[in-house]
Amino acid sequence: MISYLVTVVIFVAIAALVGLALNLQWGLAGLVNFGVSGFVALGAYAVAITAPHVGWLAAMAFAALMCAGLSMLLSLLTIRLEENYLAIVTIGFGEIVRILLLNEGWLTGGALGISGIPRPFAGMTPAGWGDGVILVFAVVLVTAAFAFSEALVRSPFGRVLRAVRDDPTVTAALGKPVLALRVRAFAVGGAIMGLAGALHAFFLTYIDPSQFTPIITAYAFMAVIAGGRGSNLGLILGAGSIMLILEATRFLKDIIPWIDGVQLSALRLGMIGVGIVLMLILRPQGLVAEPKRRYGEFFPKDAAGPAPNRALAEGGKA
Amino acid sequence: MNAHAAAPPPASALDDPRDHALAVAGLRAGYGRGGDIVCGIDMIQKPETIVTVIGPNGSGKSSFIKTLAGLLPARAGRIEVTGRDITALSPARRVAAGLAYVPQEANVFASLTIAENLKLATEFIRGRAGVGPGQRERVLALFPELGQRPKTLAGNLSGGQRQMLAFACALLANPEVLLLDEPSAGLSPKIVGETMEAVVRVREAGVTVLLVEQNVAAALAIADEVVVLVAGRLSLRAKAGDVKQADLAGLFFGKEA
Amino acid sequence: MVAQLFLNGLVTGLLLALPALALTLIFGIMRFANFAVGALLTLGAYAGYLANVTFGLPLPMAAAFAALVVGLACVLCDELVFERLRERGSITLLVASMGVSLVIENICRFAFGNAARSFDLAVARPIRWNGIRINYEQMTTAGVVVVALILFHLLLSASPLGRAMRAVADNPSLAAVRGVERRTVARITWMLTGALIGIAGVLAGLDRAIDPLMGWNYQIPIFAAAILGGLGSPLGAVAGALLIGIAEEMSTLVLPPSYRQIVSFSVILLLLLFRTNGLFGAKAVRK
Ligand SMILES: Nc1ncnc2c1ncn2[C@@H]1O[C@H](COP(=O)(O)OP(=O)(O)O)[C@@H](O)[C@H]1O
Ligand SMILES: [Mg+2]
Repeated sequence: MISYLVTVVIFVAIAALVGLALNLQWGLAGLVNFGVSGFVALGAYAVAITAPHVGWLAAMAFAALMCAGLSMLLSLLTIRLEENYLAIVTIGFGEIVRILLLNEGWLTGGALGISGIPRPFAGMTPAGWGDGVILVFAVVLVTAAFAFSEALVRSPFGRVLRAVRDDPTVTAALGKPVLALRVRAFAVGGAIMGLAGALHAFFLTYIDPSQFTPIITAYAFMAVIAGGRGSNLGLILGAGSIMLILEATRFLKDIIPWIDGVQLSALRLGMIGVGIVLMLILRPQGLVAEPKRRYGEFFPKDAAGPAPNRALAEGGKA
Repeated sequence: MNAHAAAPPPASALDDPRDHALAVAGLRAGYGRGGDIVCGIDMIQKPETIVTVIGPNGSGKSSFIKTLAGLLPARAGRIEVTGRDITALSPARRVAAGLAYVPQEANVFASLTIAENLKLATEFIRGRAGVGPGQRERVLALFPELGQRPKTLAGNLSGGQRQMLAFACALLANPEVLLLDEPSAGLSPKIVGETMEAVVRVREAGVTVLLVEQNVAAALAIADEVVVLVAGRLSLRAKAGDVKQADLAGLFFGKEA
Repeated sequence: MVAQLFLNGLVTGLLLALPALALTLIFGIMRFANFAVGALLTLGAYAGYLANVTFGLPLPMAAAFAALVVGLACVLCDELVFERLRERGSITLLVASMGVSLVIENICRFAFGNAARSFDLAVARPIRWNGIRINYEQMTTAGVVVVALILFHLLLSASPLGRAMRAVADNPSLAAVRGVERRTVARITWMLTGALIGIAGVLAGLDRAIDPLMGWNYQIPIFAAAILGGLGSPLGAVAGALLIGIAEEMSTLVLPPSYRQIVSFSVILLLLLFRTNGLFGAKAVRK
């Protein structure tokens, strides 16, 4: 029972990390990422492959940097294009990562995956305390990521990004520096996804490609939408409640006996899809609305750009 | 169309409908949940006249014209074309009722050919009298170059040619009233002259023209009357001949009511 | 060998052409890249399976049934989801389409399970000609797609409905002034593109096993084809699909077959790097 609870808490922690990351990318910078599962997988494989050689800390740093670098590349490629292109590229990225993990067996173990991943502090942990240590590790990681995201949101960096997200005219008026900021936010998000993957690998000590399906992406979006785009606190609540619902629905089988295992999992996954759509339609601001921070306090009124830009922006939408 | 019930127009504004090609009373409109951009406009236009609307940038000229055309829902007020109330009609039904509209920008389908643009001008408009081959010939006679290159993409036309195509498409519906939103925007002076000549020819063909213009000199030369729109309200109405450009400068900044 | 791969690539490309065309047409009218195209393809395959195996109908009727089912599913999704979110911009629509995709995929999984299935077909002997082998499924695919494309081309280029569709994609408010209602045209477009995807789903089911995740195999090539052609350009999407199909098959000369999707992905990346408007025009640059 205890170990089941630890598992649930760690899965909530992973979901919260992924959600915080997506909240930076999509919630704050307005850059959509459909390749979340790919970044998490990369992070997990990066630590699985390197941790035995360089230790857990260096391995995690490596995972974060690699994911940040790749996120940056993808967003740089598409930052000047319509949103649709970044979406497409990230969908593709997620799939490609999965294919590579499956097929580059010499490095990744192919479908069998990698096992025996050393946990942090494994040498110092008394027998039987392994789960407790990883639990503390997870909580610390989430707390750090949360504090970091909050600080980022409140910094001038965050305020510019929010302003840009809410009003395309501002982007047009401020031009390039803003694009660079958005790329940076996307990269930071990627790094946190990599860390989530690392936590996943450390906890399970065994990974294979089937653990990183696009459903991770769907959970992350559900968490961000449910929590309210831009709100980190809401996000933690969102991620927590989704995991609880998912865990609770495991027991549906006892209530609806005529349903088989595949149908049950289809039902639960389908519910996530329904949830995403319903929340978007019915509660666009999420369960916890983003704290209202006016960008007027940051931009003087005349920074809103000349009229022609507005006309263009609207022409583009039409 | 308009969720808000239209306030009854002041009787004086619409006393003898047969004498009005276009009559507007108490018209209000705006975007989304924002405030009114068109703030109560009353206006009457006699048949076969050219009235020019001038006013500073952002004063709501395009919004006014869009409300007349039905692209922006009226929040209050009433619009009549040749005595018929069209306030509740969709944009297309307004065309069928005799009100044609040429937008300020993107006024042709750029990815369609000239011939397709001309076809689309009438093929989905139901119930307009006088639309047909005869009208097509009359319109193409006004704009001969359009007939010569039917397969050219409208997006590849020069600004002036595009404007002519937009006029032609509007005229194919045999309108009583033609709304033109800044036809001279972005055109060279020579082409502006040609465009204004085209407007005069259109009027001579019996169409009433409501023209929004930034190019005050060009517009005054062809207009019968001028109205000045400032911050969503009409601040002056005068015979074109009585207005000197110097007078307008003051009005633009909205001193008179 | 090369000729054989070229031929296989052509058929693969033809199969991709239908969903790529559908994706690009919907993009034209709704301004978002429908993530659910893969799941809709899967739905088409299962609808065909239901008609063919469960109801025992011949394959052409099964394809017609699949076209109808997916067409209606698209109209329903539009009515329930996309139209309601249209004002909120393309990112919201993209995210919503991911949700829709998840729902459709899991409806299929709920109804049919995870096991791979296939159509009830008489095994026919492939035709051999100059060392090139063409099997029955490939000929069916080529024939059906070519006919569908010709019909669609005529519809788009020469019919009032086609003109109306292009007009709405080009300039919805001017179209409204011309009496073309965006809403009506959007519904018809969803129905027609759904039919295309449904047919493609049945053809895909001839080519490989039907399972709830089969659509994922086509997702990237479909997007690559549409981007290659310039999102929003119908002719471009078809040409892009053929090129992607041929490139994927030809790549098996040097890469393991499981890496075919990587070819598509690389094409996307290269295009975004060097020719953002696709090979055939269409503007991609943000506002
Ligand atoms: N699509 C729109 N949405 C919201 N506000 C708009 C829109 N178009 C114009 N406006 C606002 O309406 C006002 C009047 O604009 P417009 O009618 O285009 O003026 P004009 O044509 O006289 O230059 C401006 O303040 C502008 O910001
Ligand atoms: Mg204007």
